[in-house]
Amino acid sequence: MTAHEPVREPVVDFDHYRHRSIGESDRAWRALRERCPVAWTEANGGHWVVAGYDEVAAAFRDWETFSSRRTDPEVCSLSVGNLRVPPLYPEELDPPEWYPLRRVLSEVLSPNAVARLAPRIEHWVTFFVDQFIERGSCELAAELTCRVPAAVVLELLGFPPADWERIQRAFHGIAAYDRTKPEFVAAAADIGWVSRRVAEEMAERRRAPRDDAMSFIAAYEYEGVRIAPEDAEAVVLLTIGGGVDTTTSVSSAALLHLARHPDDRRRLLDDPAAIDGAIEEFLRVYPPARTHARTAVRDTELGGCRVTSGDRVLLSEVSANHDEHAFPDADRFVIDRFPNRHVAFGMGIHRCPGSHLARAQFKVMLQQVLERMPDYTVRDDDVVEYPNWSSIGGWARLRAEFTSGPRRLPPSAPQRGAPDPV
Amino acid sequence: MRVRVDTDLCTGHALCAAQAPDVYVLDELGYNCTGTAEVPPELEDRARRGALCCPEGAITIED
Repeated sequence: MTAHEPVREPVVDFDHYRHRSIGESDRAWRALRERCPVAWTEANGGHWVVAGYDEVAAAFRDWETFSSRRTDPEVCSLSVGNLRVPPLYPEELDPPEWYPLRRVLSEVLSPNAVARLAPRIEHWVTFFVDQFIERGSCELAAELTCRVPAAVVLELLGFPPADWERIQRAFHGIAAYDRTKPEFVAAAADIGWVSRRVAEEMAERRRAPRDDAMSFIAAYEYEGVRIAPEDAEAVVLLTIGGGVDTTTSVSSAALLHLARHPDDRRRLLDDPAAIDGAIEEFLRVYPPARTHARTAVRDTELGGCRVTSGDRVLLSEVSANHDEHAFPDADRFVIDRFPNRHVAFGMGIHRCPGSHLARAQFKVMLQQVLERMPDYTVRDDDVVEYPNWSSIGGWARLRAEFTSGPRRLPPSAPQRGAPDPV
Repeated sequence: MRVRVDTDLCTGHALCAAQAPDVYVLDELGYNCTGTAEVPPELEDRARRGALCCPEGAITIED
């Protein structure tokens, strides 16, 4: 080793792609965090792992040092897994290119825009609960938590309802199934189909704009410059990818948590106003996005480690959210924890712009389950977790039973987006 | 009491306004554009809660 060779230590044996369950993932991040807030691993080609709250927050905020721009145009910068997918903008851009694309997405997903969507969120939650409420049983992931975010996001964008289920299954499938399973292979191939459909729909919007978010994005101008077609498509693809299986994950986590923790369910039934605090605590304990990667573009110091320009850096939202230094009694779910400055949506300029929409949908799903099936139980012997908790966590199967109840929408209500008969 | 919002640090979580909508003003994208504002006594608790839940630490309370 020469004097100029970077010193990358402490070195740990750590590969988050080995985490096959939420328990395994949480335990591994805790063990790492208790040893050091930042460490180097040789896994996945070699990268830093950042586990401490302060260090994760600092790196998320310092985009000038920790870039999210691609270094290989074919490979996603947001994971260390050599994932070959089309670009996801604005998340994979730094300023100044980042700004106009962030701005268009922030307009589509602003708090006011989400407030205007409230009736559609209410409609879709009601509609999907209606499909199983008379049956007295359901599979909460496939029939509710996967369905609602897909319907809300794809309706907002303006995708034809005939595409919704296939799009939702593609994004759910790449997260929910092991890489060796046929469901994964089919889903991965279908992401390419989604990308082609986005291009087709956006070409259509450029020719003939409609009253939908895809038209708004296609026609967006910033400082007199119209958004480039390929950039607009990358924004739409990110909106789908960020919107479809993430809200799903935390909603499933919350429904499973409440089935396993009757005291927390009782509290929400007795005190409906506690739900806003509970939502933040669910997000803290069960963040859908477990990690995000960055690339150091200049030498720096992080958590006592010397990070060298060019190093890949894996930031762990889930580890930050469980850090005892930031959250007293961090492993315990405290329904009215306050303050609760979790990093489930990230921090800094790339903070999830869909956070307002995610919270709104998550809240209505929880409310309707608690109102309409307050005695639901989950078949704990048949719970299936995602097989990989590296980047996105979640549940592939959550079978529930409950006292059946009445539908709310008239039978003549539009059946678009209806699930397959079960 | 006054609140001072560092708009360079705000990234639009909008949690401040959820706690204290009468204190914190959001722009059309959901970013805090309050700047510096006097807080009437009856809103002080809410203003404090809004500052405490800002993940970016963008809000300072000046008593």
